Amino acid sequence: MPRTAAGAAALVTLVLLLVLAATAPDHLTDARRELAFAGPGDVAPFGADQLGRSLLQYAQQGASVVVGPSLAAAGFVGVLSIAGGLLRCVGDQRVDAVIQVLAEVLGALPRMVVILVSAMLIPSTSRGLLPLALIWALLAAPGAMDEAAAVAERLGGARFVEALRAHGFSWSRVFLYHIVALNLRPVVVRQASEVLLQVTFLELGLSYLAVQDSQSSFTHPDSLKSWADLLYMGYTSIGLDMPTGHALALGLGLVAAVTLMAKLTTSAVRAR
Amino acid sequence: MKAWWVRPGVRLLAAFALPLLVPGIITAFIWALPGDPAEIICPPATCGGTAELAARWNLDAGPWNFFTRWVGSALQGEFGRSWRVEQGLPVADLLWESTPITVALVLLALVPIALGAVGAATGLIPERADGAFATVGLVPALVFALLGSAAIVVRFGAGAFGDEANLWRLVIGAAVLGISDGAFASAVSGVRGLFAAERNQRYVSIAVLRGEEPLTNMLPNVAPALAGQLRARVLHLLSGAVVVEVVLGLTGVGDLLWAGTLLQDFGVVLAAATAFAVLSAALLSIQALVEVAVALHVRRAPALTEAA
Repeated sequence: MPRTAAGAAALVTLVLLLVLAATAPDHLTDARRELAFAGPGDVAPFGADQLGRSLLQYAQQGASVVVGPSLAAAGFVGVLSIAGGLLRCVGDQRVDAVIQVLAEVLGALPRMVVILVSAMLIPSTSRGLLPLALIWALLAAPGAMDEAAAVAERLGGARFVEALRAHGFSWSRVFLYHIVALNLRPVVVRQASEVLLQVTFLELGLSYLAVQDSQSSFTHPDSLKSWADLLYMGYTSIGLDMPTGHALALGLGLVAAVTLMAKLTTSAVRAR
Repeated sequence: MKAWWVRPGVRLLAAFALPLLVPGIITAFIWALPGDPAEIICPPATCGGTAELAARWNLDAGPWNFFTRWVGSALQGEFGRSWRVEQGLPVADLLWESTPITVALVLLALVPIALGAVGAATGLIPERADGAFATVGLVPALVFALLGSAAIVVRFGAGAFGDEANLWRLVIGAAVLGISDGAFASAVSGVRGLFAAERNQRYVSIAVLRGEEPLTNMLPNVAPALAGQLRARVLHLLSGAVVVEVVLGLTGVGDLLWAGTLLQDFGVVLAAATAFAVLSAALLSIQALVEVAVALHVRRAPALTEAA
């Protein structure tokens, strides 16, 4: 797929998700039992749940839960991986050593274990997806920084900077344009996209497990529904023959949309 | 240039430190938060008897006292008793029962990953298949696990928790872990990339000219990197095991950790997290030992012939 088309498709998907999130209601509408499990034909555009409430509201609330924190985590990893690349260009071996030790220690911890321990310890008043997303991003950051540093090293590191300075380019142009925009961009955006996707899947996983056990999720208040609720509702259509196939299709469709957006973004910024 | 033993030495040090680091960080985190530690780990809204809890868990005498006493007990296999997941049962018993399931799940999940790595190294898996693997790998473990769980329910119905169904859960869980979240795809592409880069080395060309197998020549040199990749894969599997175990109803350490987190059972969470840290430390040690073995192997002087 051409880079421009991939970028445009990713942007459209992101805008749609942002619109969904921005228009999310604070609470689901009142039940209309006569429309229970109604299909998309009866309750447009995605059908209804067991109480006749539109699944569009689930999609909106789920987007509002996941979009902000996953973008924040992606941004956090992006900034740190840029820092990793630039630090390699500065050529300070002590900083490199610190990053490698951090990568070794943080990389040795299974991320889900850290997330669950954090979820338990974070005070209930501060609970939400954002702190967990940032912790996930922090755990992913050393790897991203290391990869960006490897790219900077292939460029020539400090010698590359010296050479461009000798050509008369300013510091800001060398670092921001030649290194970040032209060379680090593919790896930084790919890492950020991967973290965005991982945080979305993390939310789905944590919320699904909580819904399955009829407990409150660590990622959002009880008044909001996650996309995991759609998957949980839809799952019963497979095992128990409930008429909830439309919920499963919507849940999987939303997961696919985020996955596609992340992959298209990576594709749009790939190296020439 | 750094001495050859520095890197494996650091890994071994990290391996020894990790099982202490995890409870240490958790302890520091609890005391860094504002408020009473006992109320943080089990808020009064969900737990009663906070004072008794604090006394039983040594939370009332400062972080150092708590940490040293917990580690001292843990070294003797004593992790206290669960207060919510299985009230009154020793946490060590819960860990002892659940660890084999997680180990079996992860070892079984390593089978497709190992096959993929071997296929990529030997060229049996063509490069054009990577795209298809990457596409399948985009599916999150949760979605595959849900499909697997539904398949179990459809296949076994009311007997979904019998022995045969449990065996199927384990096999399906391993397949889910081994394929989803890019596990298989990245094993194939990672190993392929490693061997492709090594194949460009001059010694490989010389080995080919001497009529030797490139793979056997490359293997000792890529072994440390392969061990590093394998460690990363196993960590990835351990992380994913939490979701897969809970969705498929496998009562492993991941399931125990989830139950402890959900029910605010601090003793269970601390012990389960430490168990994961011990597993991770074992992986670090294995990687360090592989690095040491390779370093000693390449430094072994060949026996001199008479002509030499």
